[in-house]
Amino acid sequence: MLDPLINTVRDSIRYQGRTQQWMWVAHRVSGIGILLFLVLHVFGMSNAYFNPEMHELMLETYKTPLFSISELALAACLIFHAVNGTRIAILELRPQLWDKQEVATKWALIITALLALPTILIMAAHSISVFMAK
Amino acid sequence: MASIPAPTGRTVRQIKPLPKARNNFERIAWMFMRYSGLALVFLSLSHFWMQHLIIGTHNIQVGDTVLRWGETGKAVTFENIIWRAYYAVMLGLAMLHGLNGLRQITTDYFRGNVYKIIMGAAVVLIGLVSVGGFVALAAGATLVTK
Repeated sequence: MLDPLINTVRDSIRYQGRTQQWMWVAHRVSGIGILLFLVLHVFGMSNAYFNPEMHELMLETYKTPLFSISELALAACLIFHAVNGTRIAILELRPQLWDKQEVATKWALIITALLALPTILIMAAHSISVFMAK
Repeated sequence: MASIPAPTGRTVRQIKPLPKARNNFERIAWMFMRYSGLALVFLSLSHFWMQHLIIGTHNIQVGDTVLRWGETGKAVTFENIIWRAYYAVMLGLAMLHGLNGLRQITTDYFRGNVYKIIMGAAVVLIGLVSVGGFVALAAGATLVTK
């Protein structure tokens, strides 16, 4: 029952694909993370109609320290998944660009860092200033 | 393509065209992931940055939802429609994109009954949450009554 899982994990380690393979793994992991968050988020937002007290309670919960730190991780996952996904979409819809795969990967990582670092810094500064004021 | 006589006079092997696929699901799913992904880059990043950078997480109030979605029972303004359409498109595309992604990951690691359990649970959970989201968007936000 678990044979496909064991075989796949073992062969993934044996493949030694380096950066390109890590991008593929990170794309999967970030995708699952975003999906899990999204289910919780849509449930919370739909309570704006179904159960406004629950909606308000969830909005207040998002301001607690645990969630404030988790949303930094969410920002990183989202920006990486978006930028890397754009690289995948462009290169797969335009096969004539395939010889630029390594360059595209490098730029995907650079752009992810350029977008994610200010985002995380601004969000963290906002959270820290709010918590310090308390 | 008909056989072409070679210079020697012997006929060349006939080249057959590619067979038409009987099941187009994987091809359509593949195209959907790429195109919906590109659309979602704009939708999701704008949403995330507006809420977290421009407004700020700790400044988000319950009343903001009412302002954007409109209130249940009250008349719907043009602004409400734009916000609701923006969220509805994002919700639909994101859930389908995520569900298909989960399907791809699950087929890689699990087969048979485990696969069916995981995908069944995911479809039910994501489906329920999405339906709830669409209903809430269509109906508008309810005010908190203390």
